[in-house]
Amino acid sequence: MNANNHAGLKGAAFRAIDHARQDIIGVAQAVLATPEVGFEEEKTSAFVASKLESLGLAVRRRLAITGLKAVRRFAAASPTVAVIGELDSVRVPGHPGANPETGAAHACGHHAQLGILFGAAVGLSIPELSGPLAGSVAFVATPAEEFIDVARRLARRDAGELQFLSGKQEMVRLGAFDDVDMAMLVHTSSEEPAGRFIVGGTSNGHIVQSVRYTGRAAHAGGAPHDGVNALQAMSVAMTAINTQRETFEEKDVTRVHGIVTKGGTSVNSVPAEAVYEGRVRGRDMAAVDKVAARVERCFKAGALAIGCDLEITTVPGYMPLRNNPRLDELFAANARSIAGPNSVVTQPYDETRGGSTDMGDLSHLLPVIHPYVTAARGSAHGADYLIADYDLAVIQSAKVVVATVIDLLADGARAAIEVKQGVAPAMTRTEYLRTQSERNRVVRYRGI
Amino acid sequence: MPPGRLPANASIDDLKRAAVDEIDRHADEIVRVSQRILAAPETGFREAKTARLVAATFTRLGIPYREGIAVTGVIGRIGASNAAVNVAVMGELDSLIVAAHPNADPDTSAAHACGHHCQIGSMLGVAYGLSLSGVADHLGGAVTFMAVPAEEYIELEWRSNLRDSGKIEFLGGKPELVRLGELDHVQIAMLTHTSSDYEGFSVGNTSNGMVGKVVRFHGTAAHAGGRPHLGINALNAAHVALASIHAQRDTYRDQDTVRIHPIITKGGTVVNAVPDDVRIETYVRGASVPAIVDASGKVDRALRAGALAVGGSVSIKTLPGYLPMRQHPGLTEMFAANAKKLVEPEKVVKGGHNGGSTDMGDISHVVATIHPLVGGAAGVAHTEHYLITDYSLAVTRAAKAMAMTVVDLLSGGAAGAQRVLGGYRPAMTKADYLGLMRGMLSDRTYTE
Repeated sequence: MNANNHAGLKGAAFRAIDHARQDIIGVAQAVLATPEVGFEEEKTSAFVASKLESLGLAVRRRLAITGLKAVRRFAAASPTVAVIGELDSVRVPGHPGANPETGAAHACGHHAQLGILFGAAVGLSIPELSGPLAGSVAFVATPAEEFIDVARRLARRDAGELQFLSGKQEMVRLGAFDDVDMAMLVHTSSEEPAGRFIVGGTSNGHIVQSVRYTGRAAHAGGAPHDGVNALQAMSVAMTAINTQRETFEEKDVTRVHGIVTKGGTSVNSVPAEAVYEGRVRGRDMAAVDKVAARVERCFKAGALAIGCDLEITTVPGYMPLRNNPRLDELFAANARSIAGPNSVVTQPYDETRGGSTDMGDLSHLLPVIHPYVTAARGSAHGADYLIADYDLAVIQSAKVVVATVIDLLADGARAAIEVKQGVAPAMTRTEYLRTQSERNRVVRYRGI
Repeated sequence: MPPGRLPANASIDDLKRAAVDEIDRHADEIVRVSQRILAAPETGFREAKTARLVAATFTRLGIPYREGIAVTGVIGRIGASNAAVNVAVMGELDSLIVAAHPNADPDTSAAHACGHHCQIGSMLGVAYGLSLSGVADHLGGAVTFMAVPAEEYIELEWRSNLRDSGKIEFLGGKPELVRLGELDHVQIAMLTHTSSDYEGFSVGNTSNGMVGKVVRFHGTAAHAGGRPHLGINALNAAHVALASIHAQRDTYRDQDTVRIHPIITKGGTVVNAVPDDVRIETYVRGASVPAIVDASGKVDRALRAGALAVGGSVSIKTLPGYLPMRQHPGLTEMFAANAKKLVEPEKVVKGGHNGGSTDMGDISHVVATIHPLVGGAAGVAHTEHYLITDYSLAVTRAAKAMAMTVVDLLSGGAAGAQRVLGGYRPAMTKADYLGLMRGMLSDRTYTE
């Protein structure tokens, strides 16, 4: 692909973006200032919706609680290319942008994605594109990419508000991607060297475990012998899990990590309840399942050691990311054109980044790319993760996205059709929903 | 009073004085026996040389004896076998294993770091005092001198094999004597143990009971560098098991004085293979049988948890150990009154509870028993620092106190024994005792 194709159309779109530059960066920075965690992005969602509506787009709201979708139709309805931005923050109380009450903070740069989403909408809403492009572009803001607050989300699942605990999973279930043929999302990164776009690579799959030990409370000073200490069960389980690490194979890129969200109620009472949420990640779902079984065994060992009750709720997490090489090529060519000839790094497609994303799920259903832009500094999910270069993170990224969409949909959407026909999806939506649903299970165990 | 000249109407005080004088006359000889044993330490059920020395002394004193009782025990008696009252005076033949002890055997590391060599001295001292003096002729009952094997509950695997080959049933010498009927016609038993905690005597102390456990974790060997993921690490199972044992320490009541103190006797074979065979020995001690049974159950659960955590299995052999000590109050008073004639009265003190265990506890459940402690030692018991500093106290005066107590019990037609035992019934019959002990035995392999 020659990135100089459709130069006129791209130039017009870029001018619109440059013209709205402050407004576009302002969207990212406004979201940074009001971080909200997944499925609770009420203000963020309303704000992004209003910004998209200000461009004349009709926005469907409240998809999967806080998700949004706005479609701009060009000369024909299909194919549809989706540009995605994620609404939610993580929780990092020490982050300078953290909400003092909730600890929510954009320590993963999702606010920049929403800037890109708005910037792309600015660029792709110009009237000059109506005739030359065929098909549609969907601007999609998805809730809850960070798979956190599992207990809260499980409670909402029990209340019937959700079936899956991530935004894209829920939106797939609700059919929000049924008319989408391919999708892209640009994520920020603090990797070195700065100033690059990274294409290729993959991410880990994972499952999520919510673990609850139930013991018996007793006065911790007066009658500890009458108690059954759920926190000790947790401690044994942590030790047990750590002993298993030598059995993890490097090729599997296994990660087992969790947090204890409840470890007792008051210090002078033997903890009767201890709660953990954690993940088992791996290169593929077979690797995840293998290790998850070992972790489950270790949690049982904790219950057996102490003689308490255990409940493990396993929830489907994310599938490994399958980046589409043809889409990556288009994206990379535009990135070079916009950010310079050395601005693109291509990661081997089997090189796993360790983390996980629900773009992985989407990538099993349609061609997807999830490139990174190294415009941040600090450690992702750390208190020091900040966008260092908003021009690169938001403005240039938006331009690359817009140019890629133009390349896909110009000439009767020839490139988009080629991408769509080039590779068969790994799963149908029905298969996907069944596969993920089957990962739901509850194991109860009594340590006696 | 010269030997052999006791008048027919000799008073209790005359008899005591005769016995004490006789012990004094042979004090060097008696102490030398102890010191010869110190120089040739042997662990339980292997005390061949020590037993021969005891037998030679009985021969020298003209006391008939039997050998090879419970493998190495030697039992001599003065008085009729069918006497209405039979007092057993005991001493323990065996040593510990403390390689760093100055008197350790260079080959076996056996060492008398618990003062048992003094017990043999004090037991034989009583024999000297009662036999050579002619006091025995004035006693209305029998005195049985028991040199007992294997009080230290060690070398569990070796003894377990001895058990499997039918040479013993229980792992301690005194339970074996009970089983073999050696206590069937004994009503009273005494043994004086050395201590580094007292300047004189301590009477009436209690001690923990215990069970022993021989544990083996079964895993799967694999190259520890090349294929750790194919191994099942039995050492990690043990690690989790030990952590699990510790995690339950807050569940033991203070009054139960639970002690659990495992050692790893095998922790793998070669460092570059995943350990597939790891062995632990432990005691589970407590102040009462229910406390021991409760703690033993928790330890078993912890051991199973270790195996479960790594996906291996564990064999747990629980062996009946010793019962808690219950000393007879009347006998204790009688011994204390005599002890006060040998040391300053304020140096005869009431003892407390000892977290250790002794198979005199078992004896104390089937016959009226005392197990006074005598000073004369320095350093912490069971360490290389435990040395006898005052043989006159540890051996000679201990012998005198016991000899005088025997006189109190058996002179005048055993009137003292009858008075002190009036209405006394042992805590258990022999059948009850053996039933309890056999009920504690279990041998199971767990694969969770």
